[in-house]
Amino acid sequence: MIYRIVHKNTYKYDFPVSVGSHVACLEPRSLPHQKLLSSELRITPRPATSTERIDYFGNRLCIFTVQEPHTELLVEARSEVALDVAPPLSRKADLPWELVAKSLPEDRSPAGLDAYQFAFESPRIRTHPDFADYALQSFTPGRPLSQALLDLTSRIHKDFRFDPKVTNVRTPPEEVFRKRHGVCQDFAQVQIACLRSLHLAARYVSGYLRTYPHPNKPRLVGADASHAWVSVYSPGNGWLDVDPTNNVVPSTDHVTLAWGRDFGDVSPLHGLVIGGGGHTLKVGVDMEPLDSAQSNRA
Amino acid sequence: MTIDLYQPPLRYGSAYDELSSDGVTPRTHWAHLMDSLEEIGPDELGRRWSRAERRIRENGITYNIYDDPLGANRPWKIDILPFLIPAKEWRHIEAGIIQRAQLLNLILQDLYGSQSLVASGHLPAELLYANPAFLRPLVGVKVPAQSYLHMLAVDLARSPDGQWWVMADRTQAPSGSGYALENRTIVSDVLPEVFRTSNVLRLAPFFRAQREALINLTQSSNPRIVLLTPGPHNETYFEHSYIARYLGFTLVEGADLTVRDRCVFLKTVNGLEKIDVILRRVDDSFCDPLELRGDSLLGVPGLVDAVVAGNVKVANALGSGLIESAAVMPFLPGLSKLLLGKNLKLPSVATWWCGQPYALDWVLNHLDSVVVKPAFPARGIEPVFGADISQDEKQRIADQLRARPCEYVAQEQVALSTAPVWEDGHIISRSIVLRAYVLNTGNGWVAIPGGLTRVAESEGSVVSMQRGGHSKDVWVLWDSPVDTFSLLRPRNAPLELSRGERAVPSSVADNVFWLGRYVERSENIARIVRSILTRIRQADPLEFRCLLRLHRCLDSQFSKLPKTKKARRPTPAVFEKELVGVLTDSNRPDSLVCTLAELSRVGGNVRERLSADMNYLIVQLRDSIPVEQIPPFLELPAMLTASLELLSAFSGMERENIIRGSGWLFMSIGRRLERAVYLTRQLREITAPLAEEEWSFLEYLLEVDDSSMTYRTRYYTTLQPLAVLDVLMADETNPRSLSFQLKHLADLYQQLPRHLSDDLQAMQMALAMLRSFNLQEMRYPSSSATTSSTATPVSSEGITNLQRFLGDLEGLLLSWSNNVSHRYFSHARTLPITISQ
Repeated sequence: MIYRIVHKNTYKYDFPVSVGSHVACLEPRSLPHQKLLSSELRITPRPATSTERIDYFGNRLCIFTVQEPHTELLVEARSEVALDVAPPLSRKADLPWELVAKSLPEDRSPAGLDAYQFAFESPRIRTHPDFADYALQSFTPGRPLSQALLDLTSRIHKDFRFDPKVTNVRTPPEEVFRKRHGVCQDFAQVQIACLRSLHLAARYVSGYLRTYPHPNKPRLVGADASHAWVSVYSPGNGWLDVDPTNNVVPSTDHVTLAWGRDFGDVSPLHGLVIGGGGHTLKVGVDMEPLDSAQSNRA
Repeated sequence: MTIDLYQPPLRYGSAYDELSSDGVTPRTHWAHLMDSLEEIGPDELGRRWSRAERRIRENGITYNIYDDPLGANRPWKIDILPFLIPAKEWRHIEAGIIQRAQLLNLILQDLYGSQSLVASGHLPAELLYANPAFLRPLVGVKVPAQSYLHMLAVDLARSPDGQWWVMADRTQAPSGSGYALENRTIVSDVLPEVFRTSNVLRLAPFFRAQREALINLTQSSNPRIVLLTPGPHNETYFEHSYIARYLGFTLVEGADLTVRDRCVFLKTVNGLEKIDVILRRVDDSFCDPLELRGDSLLGVPGLVDAVVAGNVKVANALGSGLIESAAVMPFLPGLSKLLLGKNLKLPSVATWWCGQPYALDWVLNHLDSVVVKPAFPARGIEPVFGADISQDEKQRIADQLRARPCEYVAQEQVALSTAPVWEDGHIISRSIVLRAYVLNTGNGWVAIPGGLTRVAESEGSVVSMQRGGHSKDVWVLWDSPVDTFSLLRPRNAPLELSRGERAVPSSVADNVFWLGRYVERSENIARIVRSILTRIRQADPLEFRCLLRLHRCLDSQFSKLPKTKKARRPTPAVFEKELVGVLTDSNRPDSLVCTLAELSRVGGNVRERLSADMNYLIVQLRDSIPVEQIPPFLELPAMLTASLELLSAFSGMERENIIRGSGWLFMSIGRRLERAVYLTRQLREITAPLAEEEWSFLEYLLEVDDSSMTYRTRYYTTLQPLAVLDVLMADETNPRSLSFQLKHLADLYQQLPRHLSDDLQAMQMALAMLRSFNLQEMRYPSSSATTSSTATPVSSEGITNLQRFLGDLEGLLLSWSNNVSHRYFSHARTLPITISQ
């Protein structure tokens, strides 16, 4: 499965910005089942400085500064990605979730340590007994991690209403949890809060979701925008992705951009500007399958 | 024996008494001080104490306490008795804290590098991952000479058995060393004979070493170093400006800096100037809103990237707050053996990190004897003393510990040692904590010989400057000759002579510009009100009207007097009340007391750039108008005269003692501009025009503008509006005339770097216009009925034109001032705005 992705971000400012410093996290990661074929970032106006850096979580960041006065900033990320189907879970390695939670603090292998950092609170996600109580309905004693996880995912999908108008990037998971509505980012953060409240390692994944425009196919929510979902660490099976917004296990429709502790670590584009007054942002994502079979179907 | 002055600690036996082992005889190293104190006697000590207190106030030494009813600028509280440490004991402490600095530095190096200490289990992973002070963007970033710590502060306490313990480490931006320096200055001044004869190790070499150490962080031969402060509201802002001045660094706030091309620049009136080293007093996560805390207004966007690029060095290195956590303490003995191959010389206070199950159990069973603290310091969470809380409270704490064990530490509650403190003519005994400092010179570590001793506010064991405690100077009594120059560069080493002025930061220019304006504004208010006050009680109705006119020159928006001409004239009582308001009403932004407060505020913002004498004058000026106890009405003129004397002393210093650089230019421009503005207002009262029976107003005006003598030598006692206009408007040799102000504004502006020809021309044209008015050819219109019937028709056109011109000029001056602000200062105040999805 090969995709061409074009992700356009356009900032418009009321007044000229004299200096704008930005961090972009817009290059898809290379993973065992995801091959990055090409990637480029087009920025207008041309930045005076632009540096690439791999962050602590292994994401590729681009830090750039536009130093000429401008009233519009266009950041366009283009990439081509080939996706394979991830290998199926090993049932034998699917341990009861309590065992997983208990083994994490003791596991000092590089993978274990890397996972363990996602078991803690992060700037945007606090743990709370209420999250734990909600999660425990799925995480019944002795239940294998992946089963419990899928159950929690489907419950969030069922219990929470998708509504792009009620939350923003700063809405805390507590509020989303109380009001039971939000968007993919909110559902992902709520699920992470639930999992971390049970001392499991869960990370926030930002990426893209393919949509099927065909009239008699159900239209998946989150189309033509960045998407977000959740990944949970299982010592035997590695990281398990779940998408609470659509109640699916991400496979060849989900392209992984980056992961971190919460949205704050992987925000696709953020920055600080001097001047500018008010601003508006327009985001457009286009994800086009390039395989012939898929093209035929479309 | 001096002990008759001394009241031994009440709880003798439970705490170590620094002064005496038996409550009667002083320990050997205290004997000389105590004997000397007795010689000096309590009366003289009392006098010296009040002198010291006055000096603290005059020097403007302050420590801001959050939510303090006294607000910012609370005077620093210092005890005149130093804390004494004998040489042998100091060697032990010194070795201990230097070892600790080495160890902590190595730990930081590992945690921001390979993190092998975590992988090997020597440090729990939680201390990294659950710690908000762990700054992930800084992992793997090269730090010059591996010196994560440029300076470390260690809080030490002595337990009843005489042993010193480390209570806390300050690793990111340790405060207090500047106060230590200031304490030394004051205490050695109060007890000069004792200081001289006590063979005390000197502090100055340490600070010179600090300067050298920061210079050594870069390859640049003449690096530009700034001290980054959170600003005047920070608790230790005084110290930031003190250190900046002492070390010769520019004091800046985040908004003064900007990142371009991955380098940090200071915004100056000359443009951008590259910065090599930042000595920071801003906490780690606030330093860069782009990559660290996005809500920080104190930082510099892009700073992390500039650090990553290696284009700027930050001391202490960004991220070093990671091991400020007490949770690290239980692991230090093991890490010392591992990393240094040695036992820890100076132990930490017994500390349990509740993230370890057995530690949690122990703490839950011993809540009575421990202090529970957050493992990861965050402001607002106070330590809880287990012994002091109720059973319910204990239960609540225990629940919190069980729910989030990683986030808590418990420490043994140490019975702090007590030291003698001077209070109300007695020597009493108070608990103390010693803050000692270690510096990384690049060629090894040195300890500041002494430090800051903090004293509990009252009987008890809590020592906190935030709670309003005192501090003491620390004297290390050396046992061999004291080498005062050991760390100085050789005195005969060649020094490059330099006259070049370092560019003035835009924010500094902004502040000194306003300092100039406020000085002038204060003087104007004081002069006008004084002139009214001395006359009001004996004024006849006509004079009263002239006095009201003089009051109008203040152009006060907040005047309580009727505004319209038709309204009834205020009674003398109402007018007097208004005048008292103009002087002392702190709710009225244009009152003298508020103007002086603003003067002191902007002066305080640039205190490190003014001489000690000027700073002293500013403090005195602030205090020259009492807010609470307003003097009786008849004493107000004398009060104003005192303020005016201070203001003229300030002006004298400004003229005689300040280098003629850009800073001075901006101050002078501010002053001339302000004076020009109020002169236009005064002169318009003359060109209004003025009825003949009100001509005594002219006399008042001449007095306000200090030009009575000039006028009298030229015109004797004949008062005429045109002659007064000549003196106050046209005479370019009179420093109080309007044309003098405009001429100097143009001259001064021309000397500014990057000045705009449009603005220069505007001022020059205004001057030319002013010069074009020929007073000689003008007739002053008369409003009285008798003169209007005279034979010669009077053309008052000239005066009307002049009146219009003066009105336009005031508008021009104000917009010109805005242009200057915009050109030189506005970008200093521009804060970046966060944008995101």
